[in-house]
Amino acid sequence: MGLVLWIAPLLAVALSQIAKRARTLHAISICVSLLMLVVAGFCTHAVMTAGQLTYSFLNHLFLIDSLSVIILDIVTAIYFLTCVYAIGYLQNEVRHGKIGEEKLRLYYMLLYIFLFAMVLALTVSNIGILWVAIEATTLASAFLVGFQNNPNSLEAAWKYIIICSVGIAITLVGIIFLHLSSVDVIQSGDALKWNVLLSEAKNLNEPVLRFAFLFIVVGFGTKAGLAPMHTWLPDAHSQAPSPVSALLSGVLLNSAMYAIIRCLTIVNVNIGDSRYTSRILIGFGLLSVVTAAIFILSQKDYKRLLAYSSIEHMGIIALAIGLFTPLSIFAGLLHMMNHSLTKTMLFLSSGNILQKYNAREISKISGLLKVLPVTGPIFLLGLLAISGTPPFSIFGSEVNVFISIFDANHPWLGVMLILLLAVIFAGIAATMFKIFFGDGDTVEMQAGEINLPGAVVMGILLIVIVVTGIYLPDGLKALFIAAQHIILGG
Amino acid sequence: MEHYLDLLSVLMLLTAIMLVSHKRIRSYIRTFRLQAVLIAIIAGFMGMQSLVNEGSFDILVICAIIVALKVVIIPMLLHKTFANVEDVVEKDFYLNIPILILMSCVLVVFSYFTLSGISALNEGHVNLQVVNAFSVILIGFFFMISRKKAIGQIIGYLVMENGIFVTAIFSTHGMPFIVDIGIFIDMITAVLIMGVMVVQINDKFDSININNLRNLRG
Repeated sequence: MGLVLWIAPLLAVALSQIAKRARTLHAISICVSLLMLVVAGFCTHAVMTAGQLTYSFLNHLFLIDSLSVIILDIVTAIYFLTCVYAIGYLQNEVRHGKIGEEKLRLYYMLLYIFLFAMVLALTVSNIGILWVAIEATTLASAFLVGFQNNPNSLEAAWKYIIICSVGIAITLVGIIFLHLSSVDVIQSGDALKWNVLLSEAKNLNEPVLRFAFLFIVVGFGTKAGLAPMHTWLPDAHSQAPSPVSALLSGVLLNSAMYAIIRCLTIVNVNIGDSRYTSRILIGFGLLSVVTAAIFILSQKDYKRLLAYSSIEHMGIIALAIGLFTPLSIFAGLLHMMNHSLTKTMLFLSSGNILQKYNAREISKISGLLKVLPVTGPIFLLGLLAISGTPPFSIFGSEVNVFISIFDANHPWLGVMLILLLAVIFAGIAATMFKIFFGDGDTVEMQAGEINLPGAVVMGILLIVIVVTGIYLPDGLKALFIAAQHIILGG
Repeated sequence: MEHYLDLLSVLMLLTAIMLVSHKRIRSYIRTFRLQAVLIAIIAGFMGMQSLVNEGSFDILVICAIIVALKVVIIPMLLHKTFANVEDVVEKDFYLNIPILILMSCVLVVFSYFTLSGISALNEGHVNLQVVNAFSVILIGFFFMISRKKAIGQIIGYLVMENGIFVTAIFSTHGMPFIVDIGIFIDMITAVLIMGVMVVQINDKFDSININNLRNLRG
């Protein structure tokens, strides 16, 4: 059953090649994403009862546990929602003549390959294949970033493919050293499998492993948007079509972070102490938050603002995971989910705004609440949520991160982080005033939504982030706690 | 046997430094092909060794793929891309060539000192093969940031990839077979996509000088 996750996207690539009409393409996309969501639900159930799900096919190449299933669920859920949204979005683009109808097929084909690569990365047991899959996500999404085919989007796509390919190449060096550290211990048939590496972690060669971890963090960190390797991220996220931005930000960054977490556990079990990895991840995390704070304060483009906010939140996640106490890991994982859902909602609404106003600059948007009666309020609430205001879920996980930081006896770190988040809040609040309470001297706009199914999707996301901000279902909590044990190496 | 491998690894390092000294895109591609030939020979040697010792064909298959991909197909693709863009010979690097070569040598020394501290890599004496291969990675990276043209960046990326492959083969006798295949698929796709993008950049910006790509900032 789990193998459907690999087959369905590939089948969809083939189907999208035969489909003749735009309507058929949209229908295939909805069916496939719904199927993926259902199968992911099945996998979640299997993992919650058995702890792991694997098939003997190809020497247990398919292997998922609670940690991968959490991220897999985020991926499939967000993918489904963006697919629903994308129909309206793409129809608008075609109507305005921004893209030709024939490019829809290319869009969907690349999107399926992107999905396949991402799901492969999460469900494969071999770290080498995981590397291949993460590199494939870059290649598949490079054209999606440059989809609008104007100089700016081309520039973003070129930066994206070059910076991420080099980053990922650096990871490969790390994986070679990881392999080297295990050559004497693990038989060649099981080489580079994370479950085997984890069970043999104590016997791996420590100096080589430390060396390997540095390369792996720098490389996958590039893909996860950690500063100072983040430079591709604001460009790519702001130039890509909005559904793709949502996927890049809500889903892709998590997959790269997942890869770091897998290696982190192996290294920590091997050393028997988390100080080494803590220093690295907390350093990168804090630097990311600082960078994001600086750029958010002076931001003129609302999609870039959202992109920098992604860097901020990936920084917080890296910091929480790096701290490596049970509470901080729980908070980090929760933050991953909350950030994905909130950021997806924001990027989707920014797509509606972009199509309505046809402008990326914050200064050209005003009177949003009147012009877009559904998207406007959602965007407002989303900005409040992303900057950490209660009762939204991001507030909950951020508070948990802070508690764990002070618990772990890093008061200066906690104080610094709180100050930085305050700065970011100020930056986002300033933007909000401009967008929502502008004097409305722009051209008169006709009020009304342009993408109704899209608005429904955003509404669903809003409800989810409010509800999980107040109450976390027991099943979900159990899943997170299981993942937390896996990360702790137990 | 070991002496041949030592020799080949040094030659490979030399091709990387040669690449840094070139001025024209056509000679970049020629040197890249020369380097690929050397890598294929290295893989061939190692493959024979593992066939005799363990009876496995894996590395020999990889060697055949390298010949097909890196010696034939990728240089061909690069030539094609290059033919599609305007050919203006201009100074396309930031520093002059002697300084670039000197810095490449500094990178070799740097990787020597970095790797000589890892005992698992070096049995008694410093494993110079890995040092050479690792230097190729760094020089490829350095090449990427020292050139202004988009094609230079593609070549730099490929040289990095070469260095990584040889590092893997010298330090661990190659990655698992299935991983190597995946890496090759990714690499050829990457070159195809980058090639298409270079042509698009040439259309939109009227040159492949990446200094023109500076609209998105802040």
